[in-house]
Amino acid sequence: MDEVILSIQNVNKSFGGIKPTDNVSFNVKRGEIVGLIGPNGAGKSTLLNLISGIISPDSGSIFLNNVDISRMPAYRRSRMGIGRTFQDPQFLLRSKPIENMLLGADLANKNRYMQSYLGLSEDKFTMKFAELLEISGLNVDMSLRINDLPYGQRKILEIVRALLGNPQILLMDEPAAGINIVETEMIVKLINYAISEQKIGVLLVEHHMDLVMSICNWIEVLSSGTIIANGVPEDVSKNPSVIEAYLGRKSDVIS
Amino acid sequence: MASNKNREILIKTGWTALKVALVAVVVIVFTSKANNYYFTIVNSALIYVIAALSLSLLLGMGGMMSFATVTFMGIGAYATANLSKVLHVPTSLSILLAVLISALIAFLIAILLTRLKGSYFAFASIGLAQISYAIFLNFKPLTGGPNGFSNVPKLIIAGIEFDNLKKWFYLLLIIVFLAALSLERIRRTTLGRSLAAIRDNEIAAQSLGIDIYSTKIITFVIASVYGSIAGALIAHMNTYLSAYLFTFDISVSFLIMVMLGGVNSTTGAILGALLVTLIPEWFRVLQSYMKLIYGISIVALMIFMPSGLTGIIDSIKYKVDMEKKKKRNKDYSNG
Ligand SMILES: Nc1ncnc2c1ncn2[C@@H]1O[C@H](COP(=O)(O)OP(=O)(O)OP(=O)(O)O)[C@@H](O)[C@H]1O
Ligand SMILES: [Mg+2]
Repeated sequence: MDEVILSIQNVNKSFGGIKPTDNVSFNVKRGEIVGLIGPNGAGKSTLLNLISGIISPDSGSIFLNNVDISRMPAYRRSRMGIGRTFQDPQFLLRSKPIENMLLGADLANKNRYMQSYLGLSEDKFTMKFAELLEISGLNVDMSLRINDLPYGQRKILEIVRALLGNPQILLMDEPAAGINIVETEMIVKLINYAISEQKIGVLLVEHHMDLVMSICNWIEVLSSGTIIANGVPEDVSKNPSVIEAYLGRKSDVIS
Repeated sequence: MASNKNREILIKTGWTALKVALVAVVVIVFTSKANNYYFTIVNSALIYVIAALSLSLLLGMGGMMSFATVTFMGIGAYATANLSKVLHVPTSLSILLAVLISALIAFLIAILLTRLKGSYFAFASIGLAQISYAIFLNFKPLTGGPNGFSNVPKLIIAGIEFDNLKKWFYLLLIIVFLAALSLERIRRTTLGRSLAAIRDNEIAAQSLGIDIYSTKIITFVIASVYGSIAGALIAHMNTYLSAYLFTFDISVSFLIMVMLGGVNSTTGAILGALLVTLIPEWFRVLQSYMKLIYGISIVALMIFMPSGLTGIIDSIKYKVDMEKKKKRNKDYSNG
């Protein structure tokens, strides 16, 4: 399983005076969870936006399964297999959960317009959705609008929606931020399922160090737009420059 | 759980049956009592329903505020009029060709227009409505110019000549029904969901593989199909066309219809179109103030009920459901 799915090569991006992405390079392999950590404003979300195509790099390349996607529009990248969740979950807030989840299923449909017109895909969708809910252990009131669901449920549903889209790689922007321990556990179950059953790669941006250290196979540390360190969790957590850049004081890393 | 679902299905079927029965009663009573005057009014209201559905698709589902519905109505109307009268194409075929022509023109326009966002799109559509009106009014060879286009052949479908308003009434009922049904179907397809996503959250849409540009183009073309059908029907029903049928003001009235009924609802568009066309007929004294009333209604609707009648009903229903659920949960935890 050493197949590289996502390869980021010398990517640069600046906004006016700030440079949140400064010559960043790393790979994500199939079946691997790569953690992307760094202090607030380090450029983590920017990097995810560059990969998913919300913004385009100034220079450098991003390869998905050896295809250069760095100049493609976002919708094409997602069709090619870039799935993602957002720091602030992005939904059709006035719609019900099912309608939002169907958007994920639509993405997985190759023949987008015809299939769902003939209603062929909905059974498959219902089964897959039920399966993912069961795996996570999440219980959602389907009659509520997304707007009225608790924040944690929304964050989990966003992951479910991304997985319904059958991605090659899942980019997650702080999935555990602002949610409780039980919900964090649910997210871990979904990530593990994605890795072991869907055989995808995961790029995880997260501030919860114990979560990152426990589930990631590899960690990249970003600070002021540059990768300042990388390695397996044990090494990274002991790296003095990481500790200094990330939180300034050693004691905070443990908490 | 299962019995709950059964009950839900039962209630739903009951409601549908009730609605169908209601419509049937209205139709039967209406057709037995109505004279030509009533048929004239109701038939044109039904045609406006089709046009309102066109806008409902664009604005309600797609979030595209368009004033160009009249443009495609006009194209449909003049195209079928010319094809059938000048080229002697059978009317049922000429309507079909007119719709195709309109769709083709809509496609070309959409390539330019759908790049624009929000109010820019709306402004461009206003321009389009004004341009098309100027053409309908002045391009004599195809539209008859200020004198209008008279003697459009009567509609004949499968040997049936639609030579009186009662026949038209039944035909229009069927067409409205099919138009509404197809719109509801679109809402439940990938296209409908893609549109909702573009309307409500472009970032989510893009990250879920939705091509905003091409989705908008497809939608614009489909909306033009509804619009041109409405226009073509006017041509063959009235057998006379004038540019005044396709003014910017008429597009504004479609906007009021859709907003009054509820932008994101097919039933709403139908309801709105019927109310806006029929109410002025009931209160004839109001007619000279129509423009003023339209203006005030738009402002009032935007401020006081942006989701329209059906939107209000939906949100009341939703709240009632919520309350019931809360109560049930309470009872459950108490008992
Ligand atoms: N579209 C933009 N325009 C201008 N500046 C931007 C834009 N997006 C991000 N930035 C800036 O780039 C820097 C990196 O932001 P980014 O959101 O990527 O950080 P982050 O690592 O995700 O931080 P956090 O942990 O707080 O989420 C910040 O200084 C931010 O203000
Ligand atoms: Mg961020």
